[in-house]
Amino acid sequence: MFKTARSRFQTWITAGAGTIAALFVAGLMGAFGALPAHAPPQLPPDAAIDAGRWRVQSVRAYVSRAKVYGVPLKPGQKALVLEADMTNRTAQSDKAYFNVFAPDGLALPDGLPMIALTRDQTLTPELHPGMTERMAYVWPLAGDAIVPANLSFGITAEIFKPRDNLYGTPGWFNPTRLGTVTLPIADLPTDSLGTGS
Amino acid sequence: MKIRAIGNLLILAATVALSYGMQVSKPHYAELTAPIPIDGAMHDTVRARSFDVRLDKVVFARTLKTDQFGQTRVLTTSGLWAVVTTNLTATSTSTTVADGTWQGRTGLRYHQTERLSYRQDMPPHAVDPGLERNGLFVFEVPPDQIRGASLLVAARQFAPLDAQARISLDAVPTGADGQPAEILPQYDLDAAVPSVQGKS
Repeated sequence: MFKTARSRFQTWITAGAGTIAALFVAGLMGAFGALPAHAPPQLPPDAAIDAGRWRVQSVRAYVSRAKVYGVPLKPGQKALVLEADMTNRTAQSDKAYFNVFAPDGLALPDGLPMIALTRDQTLTPELHPGMTERMAYVWPLAGDAIVPANLSFGITAEIFKPRDNLYGTPGWFNPTRLGTVTLPIADLPTDSLGTGS
Repeated sequence: MKIRAIGNLLILAATVALSYGMQVSKPHYAELTAPIPIDGAMHDTVRARSFDVRLDKVVFARTLKTDQFGQTRVLTTSGLWAVVTTNLTATSTSTTVADGTWQGRTGLRYHQTERLSYRQDMPPHAVDPGLERNGLFVFEVPPDQIRGASLLVAARQFAPLDAQARISLDAVPTGADGQPAEILPQYDLDAAVPSVQGKS
């Protein structure tokens, strides 16, 4: 009696181990890549969004053909501009905001945007804890690039770790796609744009 | 045999407990290599490893006026400008003092502003032994981060195990609401230029 139960138990364990090993190998070989991907959620464009170390609220987006907020453009280029109110949620001054916004589906000649403080056109200043500032993200585009009337911007957030695994120091890690905001893109004529001073 | 097995288990358990206790209680890498604070008060000379610093004056202003490349710029802020005047000397060899941080009462750290272009009286300050000079540190701070704040001055921004002067700003007069007693509508950085080097 006891011996039968024991052998049955062993059978179950053996069969289970085989299944787990099969699933593991299938996972390693990428069998689950065919599952429908989790689309990042649409975020409301008119609300403040907590994205890791930044609280962001997009204000407006437009295409400019002239110099905008002191960011120079090469001849024949135009610029996609996104203005957003940014608040530093951390405890110290920081300027790690380059990857927070990224336009979807556009060919960008240089990957990272130029970012200016709209208050006085300072390029990439540090933002201080709790002090909201309006920043302009400027992506130079080829002059004949087609920008859709409604463009979605991906928002990337990081998570805080009090101790990282290498040095045990606090920091922000693991950038993930938090969601997307879709904004109408105005097409500004050359001379209607303020200098933002 | 059985006693030996129990003994081994006990030793294992004790080791696990000891290791866990040490992991929880011992300081971590970031704390072990943090800058070494040297405390002081306003108007006292604080002796850091490579420089001496004395905090002379703190002025608060709504806007900041500066001449830059022949143009006058008026800088606004969503908080207040805090212009801190310090007196700096090197201890033994010529060096620079480059890092200033305004630390609020709750520990929020406001790094010196990057919105002013290079000026001779702004960091990095070149200091020499035996020669006193005035050095400015300019911060943007919210009004509620002024009472109980302190000024952190270090030779470099990332300076593990180097000295960091930590000067308490308790002597800054503030009103009942925590706001500074006097806020200038505008501070002209060029009008009040003190002689940079050799003032004693």
